[in-house]
Amino acid sequence: MIVEIGHYALVLALAVALINSVLPVIGARRNDAGMMELATTGAYALFVLVLLSFLSLVWAYEASDFSVKNVWENSHSAMPAIFRFSAVWGNHEGSMMLWLLILTFFSALVALFGRNLPESLKANALAVQSWMGVAFALFILLTSNPFIRLSPVPAEGEDLNPILQDVGLAIHPPLLYLGYVGFSVSFSFAIAALLDGRLDAAWARWVRPWTLAAWTFLTAGIAMGSYWAYYELGWGGWWFWDPVENASLMPWLAGTALLHSALVMEKREALKIWTVLLSIVTFSLSLLGTFLVRSGVLTSVHSFTTDPTRGVFILGILMLFIGGAFALFAWRAPLLKAGGLFAPISREGSLVLNNLILTVSMGSVLIGTLYPLVLETLTGEKISVGAPFFNLTFGLLMVPLLIAVPFGPLLAWKRGDLLGALQRLYVAAGLALVAGLVFFYAKNGGPVLAVLGLAAGFFLVFGALADLWYRAGFGKVSVSTGWKRLTGLPRSAFGTALGHAGLGITVLGIVAVTTFETENVVEMTQGQTVQAGGFAVKFDGMRATKGPNFTEEQGHFSISRDGVQVADTWSSKRLYTARRMPTTEAGIVTFGTSQLYISLGDPMSNGGIVVRIWWKPYVLLIWGGALVMMAGGFVSLSDRRLRVGAPARRAKPVKAYAAEAAE
Amino acid sequence: MLFWIIVAILTAAVAVFLLKPLMRPGREGDAARTGEAAVYKDQLREIDRDLAGGLIGEVEADNARAEIGRRLIAVSATGAADGRRASGATLRKIAAGIVIVVLPATGLCLYLLTGSPGTPDQPLAARLENPGNNLDLLVAKAERHLAENPNDGKGWDILAPIYYRGGRLGDAELAYRNAIRFLGVNAERATGLGETIMAGNQGIVTEDARLAFEEAARREPKSPRPRFYLALAMEQAGRRDEAKAAFEALEKDSPADAPWLPLLREHIAKNSSDGPPVASAPGNPTEADVKAAEGMTSGDRQEMIRGMVASLDARLKEDPNNFEGWMRLVRSYAVLGEKDKAVAALKVALTTFPADGTEGRQLVAMAKQAGLDVEGAMK
Repeated sequence: MIVEIGHYALVLALAVALINSVLPVIGARRNDAGMMELATTGAYALFVLVLLSFLSLVWAYEASDFSVKNVWENSHSAMPAIFRFSAVWGNHEGSMMLWLLILTFFSALVALFGRNLPESLKANALAVQSWMGVAFALFILLTSNPFIRLSPVPAEGEDLNPILQDVGLAIHPPLLYLGYVGFSVSFSFAIAALLDGRLDAAWARWVRPWTLAAWTFLTAGIAMGSYWAYYELGWGGWWFWDPVENASLMPWLAGTALLHSALVMEKREALKIWTVLLSIVTFSLSLLGTFLVRSGVLTSVHSFTTDPTRGVFILGILMLFIGGAFALFAWRAPLLKAGGLFAPISREGSLVLNNLILTVSMGSVLIGTLYPLVLETLTGEKISVGAPFFNLTFGLLMVPLLIAVPFGPLLAWKRGDLLGALQRLYVAAGLALVAGLVFFYAKNGGPVLAVLGLAAGFFLVFGALADLWYRAGFGKVSVSTGWKRLTGLPRSAFGTALGHAGLGITVLGIVAVTTFETENVVEMTQGQTVQAGGFAVKFDGMRATKGPNFTEEQGHFSISRDGVQVADTWSSKRLYTARRMPTTEAGIVTFGTSQLYISLGDPMSNGGIVVRIWWKPYVLLIWGGALVMMAGGFVSLSDRRLRVGAPARRAKPVKAYAAEAAE
Repeated sequence: MLFWIIVAILTAAVAVFLLKPLMRPGREGDAARTGEAAVYKDQLREIDRDLAGGLIGEVEADNARAEIGRRLIAVSATGAADGRRASGATLRKIAAGIVIVVLPATGLCLYLLTGSPGTPDQPLAARLENPGNNLDLLVAKAERHLAENPNDGKGWDILAPIYYRGGRLGDAELAYRNAIRFLGVNAERATGLGETIMAGNQGIVTEDARLAFEEAARREPKSPRPRFYLALAMEQAGRRDEAKAAFEALEKDSPADAPWLPLLREHIAKNSSDGPPVASAPGNPTEADVKAAEGMTSGDRQEMIRGMVASLDARLKEDPNNFEGWMRLVRSYAVLGEKDKAVAALKVALTTFPADGTEGRQLVAMAKQAGLDVEGAMK
């Protein structure tokens, strides 16, 4: 009965979403407070109902109720409880449920924290959220229903795809979806503003915390996914330019641009139309990403013969929301008034440059991702656009951006002084170059370009510090005054610095690992030793073990430096029994921020085994940088300095949820 | 019944919750745009803070103040003129009606369309407590028991034939071997193991299977099953006279009403010198091919197989959208020992069936089992 109540709750949620997507809009048109407030109540009801439905599905997974088809297809009673839990979203149907849950969660948050919003904007934005709720609830119920029952009931499930039985993948999709769906809020605000015909600086202030939250989660999600691919796939790479990865990178690039353009709009009321467009583009890419990851927009087109409804539905949703949003934009945007003026060299100008580069690089990723898919659908020809394309286009585009980033925060609004900023940055630039050279000579190897790459990374880090340094006025005022001013700086200023420095750290990691990593592929027999990264890796032999739902061949390796053993590790190959599917579990040993990565290949006829050993210097900086960026996002979000007072009409205490990035 | 009561309560509760804002006395929306004004006022305060902190100069502060001031004025100006006409109570009544109708109507219609009302939950733990006659459940229960007590030979002994009949040959072989390991070998277990191995090899009595049958025959020389399979092994090995003798001996020892007699006679006739030729192991060649193969030396036969594989290769080059064909081709090359060709074929196959698709995964898994360098083909 629990399952059926969950099913009914989902149907009821659809009904609430239907009501909520129409009545508040009428209320906003007719200026009826009651009907506009319905949006708030409806958003809460929607969230509670979807949560109820989701929890009943979770219960079915935890109890291994194989009378539910979705549970039978994706679970197994021998799986550990945590994977029975993460299996809920480890499949198409469940992941759509998670998407809907997070969508309604954000709607409820907007309802809760949006008390200072103009009533019509809030009602319209929540109605737009409900449109998406209707589309996704219908999609789930009609084509991807996780509550379908089976009779007769099988005794055992078919197991979750073994690649997904990993803690990393248990956390990854929720983080990623928090990012994807978080951008739905700025999308809804954009559509609401277009419906309302009112768009001003305050709008940007209201939208920015949501964008910032979504961006932070997406950063975390992408980093998590990349680290998971690194340690689970056993290929030693951390980014493959795979369509699934690109799908998450594109909204991140557009979201980063949005974050910066909203800043300009809030401060100067400029770039209004552009910001609205970016909101729409970012969420459109999120939608595309959702379907690319889980169902594959184009594979679902391919499988029209087997399941036409799902593919048609997905295309319908994409066309309705993306096409509809652009149509509305084309119709209403020309009516909006343009905002403030600024000189090319100014804070605004630098942010425009940032937006330009980010969107163009996003475009290059989009083309590289979709072109082969489209070509294959149209002509059946299979081409592969791999790393060389992306490294050339995306990589080259990123270079000027990395150099320009530290200048932005140092330029004044409206009319900036590039020379002044240069003067203030030359210390940071000089230090960065020296640090890059030192780093390079210490490692002594790799192309000359690496020096520049390393220097760019250091420049970002030092530039971020320099920004704080000059804001605090160190060097001009006494140390104690400087310190006082530093601690008095808005949190958003630290958020900016952390975000930019985090980017620099990631760049450092990427350049260092691509330049200095070494790879050995050797056939090893028991007792043999191989040198890697200054360590001696000795193969001690294999053993067979058994996990809850897999069997495992483990190889043991001792790692020593200068004859002294410093670490040891197991590297293994698993065979998941229910699906007869092999996976690799690489042995990874961490030394500081560097890692030794050992992956097992195929056994040889002479009793030896093929072993791949990578030495990955400073590889952890890649994800460490992402963590610092995330920290920046959260610090910025926690900036309560600018809680904006709500209309005094209400007696309740005011809780504005506004954050302010660096000014 | 309880289910429908909960459904009714849930629907009613949501309806009441949604109706609350509609039932309040009518009020016009906030037209004064106080929220926006608050943002701008706050921006003004921020300028003051920045000025006091020395982050911006006096001139910039004045300019910024002027700009924000203009926004503030714009807000209050439009705000006053923007008061839209409030709606009457009728509209709200219609809205309330919509809520009352749409909720149960949509809810019930869609649920009856997609749901399975009245289907009880069936958590596995509860089902295992009370498995009844459900064989699958009994097996699952036994499996759980064996996962905890893997040394329980009796459990393996019971499961093995069930697995065999259910076609789970890998599990059956493991269960038979475990049963033999913990309980010792007897004719029944050895025969079962032999049959399982045979079934896993398309009915060919392999060396392992033959050893198992010999073990069984040694322990129970009268048992007909191992004797039959041993005779079959001779037949498959082409030792027709010996096979015929063995089948005839078995026929003599069998009771007159034994159900296997017709099958025995069939084999005796097949192995007689004037009988039809013995069909070789089941495979994919046509009957004519098999006939032709009969008269060949083993070298010739290899040659013929190679020819067939080559023609399959050519056919697949023209029409690559043939998953079964690719599976057979890669496997054939691997069996023939031509690993390079097998990997090359796998590579081509993976362009049509990408390695992350269902078919691709099967190809990769099969190639891995065949000991091919799959990583090389996936590059």
